[in-house]
Amino acid sequence: MPELFDFQSDFGAALRDRRRTPAMQRWLAGDADLVDRRMAIYRANMVAAADKALSSAYPVIRQVVGAEFFHGLAREYQRGTPSTSGDLTDFGASFDAFVAAFEHTQSLPYLPDVARLEWAVHRAAGAADAPDWDAAALGAVQPEQQAAIRFAWSPGLAVVESPHPVARIWTIHQPGFDGEFGVDWDRADTALVARDGFAVVVTECDAADATFIRASLAGAPLGDAAATTLATHPDFDLGALLVRAMAARLVCGFTL
Amino acid sequence: MIAANPVLSGTGIGLRQPHYREVFERLPELAFLEVHSENFFLEGGAAMHALERARAAYPISLHGVGLSLGSADALAGEHLAKLKRLVERVEPALVSEHLCWGSVGGVHFNDLLPLPRNDETLALLCDRVDRVQSTLKRRILVENLSAYIACRDSGMSEAAFLAALARRTGCGLLLDVNNLYVNAINFGFDPVAALAELDADSIGQMHLAGHAVVDDCLIDTHGSLVCDPVWSLYEEACRRFGARPTLIEWDTDLPALDVLLQQAAQASDIAQREAAHA
Repeated sequence: MPELFDFQSDFGAALRDRRRTPAMQRWLAGDADLVDRRMAIYRANMVAAADKALSSAYPVIRQVVGAEFFHGLAREYQRGTPSTSGDLTDFGASFDAFVAAFEHTQSLPYLPDVARLEWAVHRAAGAADAPDWDAAALGAVQPEQQAAIRFAWSPGLAVVESPHPVARIWTIHQPGFDGEFGVDWDRADTALVARDGFAVVVTECDAADATFIRASLAGAPLGDAAATTLATHPDFDLGALLVRAMAARLVCGFTL
Repeated sequence: MIAANPVLSGTGIGLRQPHYREVFERLPELAFLEVHSENFFLEGGAAMHALERARAAYPISLHGVGLSLGSADALAGEHLAKLKRLVERVEPALVSEHLCWGSVGGVHFNDLLPLPRNDETLALLCDRVDRVQSTLKRRILVENLSAYIACRDSGMSEAAFLAALARRTGCGLLLDVNNLYVNAINFGFDPVAALAELDADSIGQMHLAGHAVVDDCLIDTHGSLVCDPVWSLYEEACRRFGARPTLIEWDTDLPALDVLLQQAAQASDIAQREAAHA
């Protein structure tokens, strides 16, 4: 299919860079002026698709920077990191690195971590629904086997750690939030992203709990994850964490 | 097992997130609901739950916007596998894709881009449609495209191209009446003559939508009411082909649900009236 590939390569190059438009003239009917005006429509569509996908994944960042600036961010991000899938749900995975490096977002140092948090929320929103599970099964595990328990955490569960108050920033930008809008900018947040039914919830998470959950998510058995946590957080209360995790249905099974 | 092509008649609307609650509360009388396939390539969550609720109350039309049938790049196997899983999960009444390309060299533009209509492209499209239909184990519908530029190397009209594709693969056609009108204006041809190039048996669905008028060009925005010339062309299509499942397509600047329902009722009236004369 060499000819079709050449046509599509030239078309794609002209979409991504207006200066390449003359090179695709040979494929098209109509004069150069017409082709230039019509290609502008496709170029605008391409950026609109990126803006729509990123707006859906990063609604808090869009509110923070404003719709117009966000549109420019989407255009610049797409320029450097074009979509590689017909499914735009996947688009924007590296937006955190982009805003960390982008010249005009340097005045908002918390933005990359807000992006990481929003991407975790985006993934959790479409994650599998947690299966029904009877936590009573955990009580039947013999004491000598407990250290070998590997928890199955609910799909989409993620821990996002930041030197900035990212959980707080996320919370005050949610639709319908009607509480106090103040932010303590000196606070460091560890955010826990989890599904509650079909909704995604973000809560502030204790540093010790976060260490344990992260180790467990990485596949460590209970004994090892607890030891890792206690090494840096001697006051870690495993029992209390498990009670909270079961109540919030963060755990949906285990293996031995 | 999935029924090959469940009998479906009447008018449907797109199910879009701002209308979820109202649709599920009112359950308006509609023949089907349409969704974009790619918005439901998810494991679970609120969107999948909404689709399951919709499926419990209505037949579903899965409309793909990202498979890129006409790309010289290899067909995206993972994308097709996701579509197959969705089809198995939803058991839709209709599955459709576009006569377009959207990616080259691994880069995706996430748009519906026009193709040169020559024998080389037709052979590629036939091969792709065969593969999609054998993977999904069902007939798909392929939709005519709205376009703003035309390829020099297009010996066939789009209608003739689609008619040949349907004859060679057994696929059905999704006749987007607004797209046909947009192209007729943008490229200066007679849309009624284009209808004459299509076989009635191949038409499995029709689409109606609004467009924007910008300078010397109509832009297919799916963001406004169906205009009078498009209603007239729809009447002509119903007279010629008979009534077909018809979608009111509205994707940007979404209006109140009642506006969509009014447009759907208008389409139903036309289809019933004109098909009686067919």
